Formats: sequence, C-alpha cells, structure tokens
Amino acid sequence: MRTTQTQFATGLMIAISTVFFSAPVQAERKPLDWLNHMGAAVQSTSYEGTVIRMQDGTAEALKVVHTVKDGVILERVVAQEGNGLEIIRKGNEVHCILPDRKSVLVEEWDDQSTLFSTLPTSDIRIGSEYDVAIVRKERVAGRETILLAIRPHDGFRYGHRIWLDMETSFPLQTQLVSDGTAIEQVKFADITLNHEIHASALEPSYSTENFTWLRQPSGHNGSHTETSWNSDQLPSGFGAVATHEETMAGSDELVTHILFSDGLANVSVFIAANSHKLAAGPARVGGSNSFSVEHGDFEITAIGEVPAITVERIATTMRQP
Amino acid sequence: MNDAIREQLSAFVDGELPENEAELLLRRMSQDAELRRDVAEYLAIGRLIRSEPGLAGADRLHERIAAAIDEKPAGAGDNAGAMQASRAIRPLAGIAVAATVALVAIFALQQTTGIDELASETPVPLVSDNTAGPVVPSIDAQEERQRQYFRNHAESSSQLGANGMISRVVSLRFSEDVLEDPEADETDELENSTEAPAQP
Repeated sequence: MRTTQTQFATGLMIAISTVFFSAPVQAERKPLDWLNHMGAAVQSTSYEGTVIRMQDGTAEALKVVHTVKDGVILERVVAQEGNGLEIIRKGNEVHCILPDRKSVLVEEWDDQSTLFSTLPTSDIRIGSEYDVAIVRKERVAGRETILLAIRPHDGFRYGHRIWLDMETSFPLQTQLVSDGTAIEQVKFADITLNHEIHASALEPSYSTENFTWLRQPSGHNGSHTETSWNSDQLPSGFGAVATHEETMAGSDELVTHILFSDGLANVSVFIAANSHKLAAGPARVGGSNSFSVEHGDFEITAIGEVPAITVERIATTMRQP
Repeated sequence: MNDAIREQLSAFVDGELPENEAELLLRRMSQDAELRRDVAEYLAIGRLIRSEPGLAGADRLHERIAAAIDEKPAGAGDNAGAMQASRAIRPLAGIAVAATVALVAIFALQQTTGIDELASETPVPLVSDNTAGPVVPSIDAQEERQRQYFRNHAESSSQLGANGMISRVVSLRFSEDVLEDPEADETDELENSTEAPAQP
C-alpha cells in the first residue's frame, strides 16, 4: 500500500514540479540561494500557526505566534498538552506562565533563539563536509514548498531536510536526519504567514497580577580564555571556535569549555579536574550524544548534536601538550 | 489506534507518506490530543522493538516543576499582595527551572532517550522529605555536572546560531530534575518574614 502511495505521490510530484518550475525566479534559485532567503525569512516573517514536533516517540502540538517589531522579537507559544503552559517573549526576556500554579518564571535569553532561528545557513562548508541539493517540491501546511537536503559527506555528522515555503522561503518543516531516517522533526500543521499580528495575540491568556514571579539567571557564565588542549584527530572540518573558563553552579571549580564546529554541527568539550567519580562512556538524548572519559588528572566530556562516534572520537583524543 | 493510522504513521516517520495524507494526519494530530498520545505510544513500541534505550520521566517535567513550586516554604507563593506590590522576582539558583519550562514549551520536549541511564536506577526525588528545613537537592553530583554541561553547550551553540534548537532541547532534558537551592529558599523565607512570627 505504501509503495502504491509513494508511487502515486512521486507521479503527482513530477506533475506538480513541471508546473512549478515554470516560475522563473524560483527555478533559477540555487540551493544556497534558498538557504540565504530562508535566513532572511526567519528574521523577518510574522507567523501564526500550529507546530507538531516529533522526536523519539513523542508528538506534541504547540500554538505559536511570532513577529518582529522595531527589531524586537515578540512571541507567544502555548503548549497544547499539560496544564496551559504559556511562553511570552519580548526581546530577550522570556516569561513562562504556569497558570495552574499561579507562577511566572522569567529568563533572559542573550541569543536570538526562536523556533527556527538556528537552522543552517549558507555559511556551512558546502562541498567539503556537506552538500546541499534541491530534492523536490511538496505541499506542507497547505502551501507549496521546496525540499532542500543537506547531506553530510561522512558519518561524523547528521543531515538536514528543510521544506521552504515557495513564496516566502520560510521553513515549514525541518528534519534532522541520521542514515536517511528522521530522528527529529518539526512541522507546521497549519500556518498563516505575514498577516498582521494583533497585540492581543501576543498577550498571555491569563492575568498574572497575583502570580509569583521567579527569576533564573543564565547558566552560561564564563570568560574567554586560551587553552593548549586540542585533538589531532578531530573529524574533518571541525575546529575550535570558542574557549571559555566556566564556573559550575554550586562549586568554585573552573571548567574549560572548548566549542568545536564544522560550520553546522557543534561539539562542546568540557575539561575538569578528575573527581574519579565520572560516569565514563556514552549517553544519548534524541539526536545529541555525549561521551565522557578520564585522562590523567582530568575528566573530559564531549557533547554535541552529532553521531555517537563523533563525540567519542573527540573526547578520547583530546590532549594537552 | 487502528491499523490504517498505524500504517500511516509508520510511513510518515519514514518520510514515505504521500503529502496529502501527511497533511491530514498532522491536522488530526494538531487537534486531537488522544491521537498524539496514541502516536507516542506507537512510536515507543517501535523503539522497544529496535532495542533502543528506554525512556523515563521527561513527560512528567511540567508536573515535577509544578510540584517543586508547590513544595516551597509556606507563604512563598501565597503572599500575592506583597509580591505584586514589589513585583519582586526571586532568584532560583541551581538548575535552570525557567529555562526548562520555557524551552520545554517552545520546543515541545516530552520524551528523550538514553540519558536516564546515567542516573541512578532509583528515581531521584524531586525534593527532600525534610519539610522542616530548606529543600535540599538530592542528586548525584556527576549527574548534575552532566546537566550543566548540556545546558552550557546549548547556550554556546545557540549563540553560534547552528543547531541551537536541538541543543537547547537537550539541555532541557537534563534540567528535568528541578531542584531548589537551599540559599534560594532561605531568601524566600526572608522575603516572607514579614508575616512570620518573631523568633524568640
């Protein structure tokens, strides 16, 4: 049955593609052009819709409203499961409202994280570690999209599939791909793009006047530093892009944090004094893996959204001259 | 869940479901919480068949956070008038409670695999049973260290702009065991001391 469906879908896709590619502008766009347009669209597009996220056997729906006004991100997210949890974002300040507990948790985000702000850009190392291809056209959330595939050249990193709205280049669906299988997926079930977002749509559903307010500071406190730690067996394309000394909560101990990147995938390496209590070995959370190992007087942990082999390779080959 | 939906779901996960059927399935899921639960169960079964690591606890995140808030010393959350007047925002040290809640909603993390195996097989209590004193974290130090590593990685990755979403989701998983810092509770008590009887 699925074969028949797939064949039918493929035939339909070819037919649709024939029509779509008559549009000269999109037809001339190269994969990198699409990524560039996507980056701009994510920054500027206002949207309102329902997102389904699937990962490791879970599926959850979120109602999302997002706009940017005078350069400030305004966002409201309402989880459809649970107890009415709502997230209100104004710029870097994020309020998490738990109506059943009459509480608001406040956090400062010092980055531009939004639902899609961290998708790949055209800055990735196309042609060395990855290639990007236009696969086909499909409909997502009732809109015409073009499917881009970012394929790694080796087993040290994951691939991505991104469905971009033909009209706006906005990503309507994304997948993180391992060996051809989606290990994480975010997809709009319905969406309205670039219509006027009324201020009321960004306000919480609840009056928080009598709620208890709680603040959580950033956990990433540290200073830039230099380190002699490195690995001569890093997977190709990976290089250190930042090094910090960080203090762990509840301790005065300084930990060296080196961030490696291949331009798309990131791996953090944490080097701390050996406590001899390290839970050595691999661990996995969804598409992310970690690997910890003892090395003399140090404990080394590598963590990243990469296959297990990658964090193991990096963790076990870190050395200090 | 009937066989037709199960087959649809299988095809959908494999990326083989025709787009029109995928649309319908997603629309149904967006409107039907029961179907979403069925889907989660179905996928969990598939994972077990594939002998992938078990799951534990992440779907209880919200309840556990709520429970943690409920466990605050008496008056901490009830003194609404005073809180409103000063709009005091109290610190929560330790694990990223706010980050956890915010990100779990935004990125919809409910369930992840594997990392629980790092933890003790015995469920870690969210808060201590010692109601007479401040709430004391009862969690292995290495486990806590791993959580901080994931969280710091998430924040660093987000600032780089690549894979931050996934990375933040990971940090959420590690923030599942919401703890409260003893000092924070002492602060709570101080903030609410206006209603407390004078100490002898």
